Amino acid sequence: MNVEIADLTRRFDRTMAVAGVSLETGPGVFGLLGPNGAGKTTLLRAMATVIAPTSGTLRLLDRDPGQYGQRRDIRRRLGYLPQNLGYYPSFTVAEFVEYFALLKDMPAARVPAAVAAAVERVDLGSRAKAKLRTLSGGMLRRVGIAQAIVNSPELLLFDEPTAGLDPEQRVHFRGLLRELGQRATVVVSTHLVEDVGAACAEVALMDTGRIVFHGTPGELIACGEGTTAAGDAPLERGYSAVLAGARS
Amino acid sequence: MTAAAGVPTTARPLPVEHVPRPIPWRLLRLEMRRNTMLWMVPVAIVLFWYHTYRQCMAQPPMWNLRAMTMQHGVLLDFVPPVVGAAAWMGWRDRRRRMTDLVATTAKPRLAAQLVTWAATTIWAMLAYLCCVGVMYAVVADQVAWGGPLWWPAAVGAAGITAMSAVGFAAGSIFPSRFTTPLVTVGVFFALGFSSQGAHNASSPWQISPQLAFPADIGPDPGMATFYHYLPDLSIAQVMLLAGLAVAALSVLGLPADSGGRWLRRSAAVLTAAGVVAAVTAVDLAGTGRTGPHGMVIIPALHDAANDRPIRYQPVCSRTAVPVCLNPAYAVYLPAVTAALAPLLGEVAGLPGGPARISQTAPIYSQGPGIGIGISVGSPSPGGNPSVSGSRTVSLILPGQLPGQQGTSSAQFATEVRSIAPAIVDMVIIGGPVGQDRVPGGSAAQQAVAAALLKDAGLQLTGPVQSGQPTRIPDNAVPGPAPGTPEYVAALRFAALSAAVRHAWLVTHLAALRAGQISLAQVP
Repeated sequence: MNVEIADLTRRFDRTMAVAGVSLETGPGVFGLLGPNGAGKTTLLRAMATVIAPTSGTLRLLDRDPGQYGQRRDIRRRLGYLPQNLGYYPSFTVAEFVEYFALLKDMPAARVPAAVAAAVERVDLGSRAKAKLRTLSGGMLRRVGIAQAIVNSPELLLFDEPTAGLDPEQRVHFRGLLRELGQRATVVVSTHLVEDVGAACAEVALMDTGRIVFHGTPGELIACGEGTTAAGDAPLERGYSAVLAGARS
Repeated sequence: MTAAAGVPTTARPLPVEHVPRPIPWRLLRLEMRRNTMLWMVPVAIVLFWYHTYRQCMAQPPMWNLRAMTMQHGVLLDFVPPVVGAAAWMGWRDRRRRMTDLVATTAKPRLAAQLVTWAATTIWAMLAYLCCVGVMYAVVADQVAWGGPLWWPAAVGAAGITAMSAVGFAAGSIFPSRFTTPLVTVGVFFALGFSSQGAHNASSPWQISPQLAFPADIGPDPGMATFYHYLPDLSIAQVMLLAGLAVAALSVLGLPADSGGRWLRRSAAVLTAAGVVAAVTAVDLAGTGRTGPHGMVIIPALHDAANDRPIRYQPVCSRTAVPVCLNPAYAVYLPAVTAALAPLLGEVAGLPGGPARISQTAPIYSQGPGIGIGISVGSPSPGGNPSVSGSRTVSLILPGQLPGQQGTSSAQFATEVRSIAPAIVDMVIIGGPVGQDRVPGGSAAQQAVAAALLKDAGLQLTGPVQSGQPTRIPDNAVPGPAPGTPEYVAALRFAALSAAVRHAWLVTHLAALRAGQISLAQVP
């Protein structure tokens, strides 16, 4: 298992953002669904080793992120796209991706080729020398994806990766997710259920810091069948039905 | 985005670099290319030109004066651009909402921060070296003798590094839009006021990196001209600045997320070492004193080898009585010769007269409080020229050279002529009396001496009564009181032509010295 989480909690002052989550997942695309404020981003930040859990255990890529040496090892194999992606406006696309390749301790010899490949994979090859300040929001999102995948990570964490992407790019991104999921564990946090249905083999639904559903997209669809849950698509109805059940 | 292999793409592939370089250099190159300090370089250069460069060039063309003036001003010029840019770069990640993303990378946070700081500092240092290099090149073209003083430049370089480190650390630790202006203004005033606290060489405030000289003397042409530049104070200043830089940067390694346990322990040790170095440097500066060569001696850092005088070949005028100066003052030889020409023309060739006027090193002595005495050969105040047994008159030139702090050529000439009483006494009486002279000898000797001094351009005042508050003009020396027979005889003798006086002296000097000439016999 690349991700092993047992009874993980994370508290911010009096707010329990994550309340006893347990998860295990291996290679493949894992969808993390949930309404705003469900705790998805906090869980992802804990998995990205940005914040430490308040309690519970977390093992990533068979390593303990609580130990500095192992945490560095995890980070070398980690790709992370935060929900609010910042950027250095004066950097070019290639420089930004190269910067993160270098910070991720990639072997120097591999950096130039890896940067070129990552930028190509997000269709920004023609804008590689463009300053980030000149790019649109969708393009910046793709730059964020490029920096996340530049080190060929074994664990990829995407927080709302398709926000700001146009429909064509979203379709392409789902294809990229499927490709990446063939050899890495890809955790995608989103509240766009169609992304999950198209790309994820496994899905978990969070609400108020807890996982209220864990299964396949098909099983989530089944939860909504025969109910009056709101939603235009089967997956949306399953999503609504699970949430309604959890809250009742 | 390429969804999978086989999906066509119209984008051109990126060129791949074939010669991979070590990662730190590649990171540094990236940081340097996109560093805010790069945009501040022209600002730093303009500030330097407007303030320090013009101030240095207004100084007489001597390495010591210009280098010490440079150290006095350059750091203030560089504070706004360097501290500002460093603080701005220090909180870049927070400002750009990059903290989460950067926190997930494998390289220790401190290492990444140090690369950013290094890029900022390299640009600042290049700007500084460019400014100092150009200034030194211009000075080298103008000075007559000597070489550049590197210690003031080294203190400046250490100051740039420390300012950059302090600014960067402040920006990193207190990431806020107010940090940059506050820390910039704070460092500017801290630096500016640091030199105001020093009032003599023993003050711990003498550690201020603005001061290359004892605070109560200021940049004086006599320093580092006859003796090597004493690095004692500079070493203490570099120690302080290096300590501050190390402490400021090491503090960044203390937070839990900055790196591993080993790194954080090292950071704690380095922080403590930096603080100890800085405190020790201040302590050392407090033990300083003004040395006889006018520079600060710090006993614990002093190398006695630096006390040896510099050997030089003096530059001399082609006059009957040569006037010889240290080659660093070569540009002032015509002015000094012209100031002494009337007197030397009269005494040249007289038996027992001066064979040579030779500039010697001033000797500085710390008086009580902020008093500084400057003398030749002895620590007595007053600036008396001395006469050696070889008929060479020793001369110290004034501390203010023409053009320095508004000193005019006429004021300089007046100061130079203060040696005249010694020369006259040497000729007429046969020994030195000096500026604080009480006219002695026979009445005829007093009259002839007074006439020669008057002819040399000096005013005669009456004898100074002890305890009587009198203001004596700069170009005045004590002499016979007006109305006395000596005074009348002096006026009479002075009214003769120089040739007639000289001829009379050639004939009667031996008798005059022996006291065998009466007032009535003075023509």
